[in-house]
Amino acid sequence: MNTPEPVYDVVWPLAPAAAPAGSLAARSADLSGKTVGELWDYLFKGEEMFPLIRRALGARYPGIRFVEFETFGSIHGRDEKELAATLPGLLRQHGCDAVISAVGA
Amino acid sequence: MLRAAAIAERAGVPSVSIVTTPFMQQAGVVSKGVGLPTLPIAEYPGVPMTDGSDAVAKKVEALLPQLVAGLAGARDAARTTVAEPGPREVVHRGTLDEIQEHFHRNLWSDGLPVIPPTLARIERFLAHTQRAPSDVIGHLLPENRAATVWSIAVNGVMAGCRPEYMPVLVAIVEAIAEPIFRVEDAGSTPGWEPLVIVSGPIASRLDLNHGQGVMRVGRQANTTLGRFLRLYLRNVAGLRIPPGAGDKGSIAGSFNVALAEDEGTAAELGWPTFGVDQGFTGADSVVTVQSVVSISAPIYSAGTHALDHVRILAEVFGGACGYWSSIGMKYARWEPLLVLGPSIARVIAEDGWSKDALRRYLHEHVSITARQAETYALQVGATSYTLEAHVKAGVLPATYAASSDPGRPVPVFVQPEKIGILIAGDPGRNQSKGYVNNHIQGGRVSKQVDGSP
Repeated sequence: MNTPEPVYDVVWPLAPAAAPAGSLAARSADLSGKTVGELWDYLFKGEEMFPLIRRALGARYPGIRFVEFETFGSIHGRDEKELAATLPGLLRQHGCDAVISAVGA
Repeated sequence: MLRAAAIAERAGVPSVSIVTTPFMQQAGVVSKGVGLPTLPIAEYPGVPMTDGSDAVAKKVEALLPQLVAGLAGARDAARTTVAEPGPREVVHRGTLDEIQEHFHRNLWSDGLPVIPPTLARIERFLAHTQRAPSDVIGHLLPENRAATVWSIAVNGVMAGCRPEYMPVLVAIVEAIAEPIFRVEDAGSTPGWEPLVIVSGPIASRLDLNHGQGVMRVGRQANTTLGRFLRLYLRNVAGLRIPPGAGDKGSIAGSFNVALAEDEGTAAELGWPTFGVDQGFTGADSVVTVQSVVSISAPIYSAGTHALDHVRILAEVFGGACGYWSSIGMKYARWEPLLVLGPSIARVIAEDGWSKDALRRYLHEHVSITARQAETYALQVGATSYTLEAHVKAGVLPATYAASSDPGRPVPVFVQPEKIGILIAGDPGRNQSKGYVNNHIQGGRVSKQVDGSP
């Protein structure tokens, strides 16, 4: 007669989720006259993409204005944490109504 | 990038993020981790680094409706919260084979068999720490889970550690939870792997190998400490390769076994140990964690004078770091590690060289051209990078922009004091090896082991 195999009761190997609950900011229906901040990680051709976006949105939305990525510096890497701490203030300072963040690759 | 968008959203500023198709799953993990699972995303199809200007222009044009929708129309979707198990809750009952199957199916294992994490086994680990099981060491991105002492014990059991390793496991997690380690980037495309270095009396107490075959799987403590960290990154930081998400290492590599130093030889030579270099005393037990993205060829060197050895060390180790150092230059944080064979260290030390003298030599004698640095950084994705701009920004010293000649040599080792040097390996052979770190990611962090020595 075979000896029965041992059976194990095991627990979950993950840990409690710690993400703070949040919700998206309220949106305006129209970008005309709005100020859009450019947040860039200084990678993956953002320097080509942002000017194209500026031109295209500028042609479509009268009065739209851009705060260019140089104003904020890189959002990835060496100074990322410092920028994260000051970003809300910078967005207020430059009157940003919206931001485009790029490039995730 | 998504984290910056999340900060903007929390500040009341709507965002949209441009993410390339191959990173959409990663974006999902990060969005959930920052607590905004519906962060608006505009999907750039393909790989920008292999797109020409025309293709970039066409794809950006195609992105516009998504950009506008993200900024002007996005709304929070209704959240569904899935209850997760409590720490002591039994999530499965089964035979050894059934447990393996269950863990594989749920992406909870690293592909190797795991030791079943039963309550009794976990308790045996917890008996080796003064900390409460519910203590939170930190929060690990990208999945943003709380690194509890309990979860450390669970994954330590699974990895095959012994219960007495628990204080080292806690110190490992303390190290990776430090912001400078940047665990959130441990799933980046270079595919770097953390390396655990154990210093001080605990290394011999736990029977860590520091001699021949030191970096080979085979000694229980070295192997399971290394495996633990990979499992922990997978289960608690959320870094899983497909069919999971979160780990985007393009080719990547397997876990490193933990490294220990031949501290007896260091003492004989009058050299400070690696742990002392990290700011501790020789009597302290210390865990250091840093990234390793690649390893040099074996560096054989021969001769009776220090220079006979340091010349070839500079050439082979420097060569291994060469192109990748350009990203270290970009971030001005660069912490490669040189593992010196005991016989090599002996010749160098007995010729009157200190470890700092060796660091200075490497700094002064290893260079690449500015063109190589800038061209390679561009291939990686730093499409606007120049050394001159980094000097102007105060990131790099002036020597990196001493002229505009693209053929000018620039030092591979940005800060000589950041070159780690440690004695280990086969005392019966004349071999060393260099470990290339991943620039700013996986920054070197040391923690004293609780209850040290």
